[in-house]
Amino acid sequence: MHVPGWHEATKKLQEEGKVQMIGIVQEQHPDRARLFMQWKGMGWPILVDSFNLLNVAAVPITLAIDEHGIIRRSRLSVKAAATIGEEFVNQTFEESRNTPAPAAAKPELAPLKPLNRETGTRSREENATTVALWGEVNRIGEAIEEYQEALRTEPENGPLHFRLGVAYRMRYDSKYRKENDFSKAVEHWSKALEIDPNQYIWRRRIQQYGPRLDKPYPFYDWVSTARDEIRKRGETPVLLQVEPTGAEVAQPAKTFEILPVTKPEPDPQGRVLRDKERLIMIETTAVPPSIAPGASARLHVIFRPNPATKAHWNNEAEGLVFWLQPQNDLNVERGYISLQNPAQEVSQETREVEFEVRCPPDTKPGILKLVGYALYYGCEDVNGTCLYRRQDVAINVTVR
Amino acid sequence: MKQDRLMTEGKMRAFILAAVLAILVMPTAAPAASAQFEVGQPFPQIVLPSLEDGRPTSLSQFRGKKIILHIFASW
Repeated sequence: MHVPGWHEATKKLQEEGKVQMIGIVQEQHPDRARLFMQWKGMGWPILVDSFNLLNVAAVPITLAIDEHGIIRRSRLSVKAAATIGEEFVNQTFEESRNTPAPAAAKPELAPLKPLNRETGTRSREENATTVALWGEVNRIGEAIEEYQEALRTEPENGPLHFRLGVAYRMRYDSKYRKENDFSKAVEHWSKALEIDPNQYIWRRRIQQYGPRLDKPYPFYDWVSTARDEIRKRGETPVLLQVEPTGAEVAQPAKTFEILPVTKPEPDPQGRVLRDKERLIMIETTAVPPSIAPGASARLHVIFRPNPATKAHWNNEAEGLVFWLQPQNDLNVERGYISLQNPAQEVSQETREVEFEVRCPPDTKPGILKLVGYALYYGCEDVNGTCLYRRQDVAINVTVR
Repeated sequence: MKQDRLMTEGKMRAFILAAVLAILVMPTAAPAASAQFEVGQPFPQIVLPSLEDGRPTSLSQFRGKKIILHIFASW
């Protein structure tokens, strides 16, 4: 693996203080990079570039930068690590006419107004990025608004769409999330990729939540191994703010697998009472948002206890069950999904059911409908009643 | 002599015009991937949050040291 390979090959040089390793991570969830660094025993500084301000099209990129800030080697493969001592570290470079090092001051956040009267996209984008990078997460909504404003005058700006998607997903992952934040993130990432299909940082954002047929690699299947090995060393793994979802650990696949439904339909007569109390909110996101005939999508059905009714999960009774009505237009990976109960007796976390669909190659463009329902125990208020409820779900799959 | 000066002024004007035009048509977007990170150029002066504590950090804080920089993702 590229980065740990570099670390191992240059350990001595690092310990002797002859070379400084630095990383810039491009992930949506940079705390996972922290876990990765802990796992591989790499303690050097990392900078966070989740919004891809560097505008890199793919990773990894390894550069050798001299003591004056000038790039001396680029496109370094891990093989170069063995000779980097003679090839770079032990050389002295003359100072050239480069810009002096400015102090890294924290940018001003208070003036969020546009920087000049003629509000071009540049000032809106700068506002958005400033708030997104340096503001507390409760201000991410302002970044979203500023990116949206910037896009109104530049609707075909790929990086703007990408960054708006990153901001939406950040808000989705926070307690300030609004309905459809995840769907909007996916929508803007897809638009960005339409504008520039060769942008692999953008492409990976969609693929990490997408179907197994389109995944280049698992993405985060290493997380459980990392945690085990760290614990074996007697250390505590760093906490992740957001656990990787099923999509983010699934192995890539070459064929679409349909798992036979072995359980009977749980409520064929529709006898379970509907969730009129609105205990649990359900939203669905298709990744990607539209599929070509013959292609597949991963559907995320997200269950969130309603903060307005102070609802929560309870782990003492039967777990959540999701049933899909069989239908002929789409291949469905699994028609019956049951979730394990949460570990705690009472909890309010967002829970997710994921499954994949594939439309046959001869499907005409249009919208295909999947219908089903979820059965769950939702509890009202603190120590309130737990009610067994059903909520019907309709999912649209767009075929282009 | 008078003629020489006029030619010089004309050339000066042409040079300034060319320079202004060059600045106007210079792309404001980031360079394409292939033109990025050219040997001999300074690394961009970008300020990003540190993963450890969120503090503003840039590579210029490491002047005087030789750097191996990895732009990567944990996946």
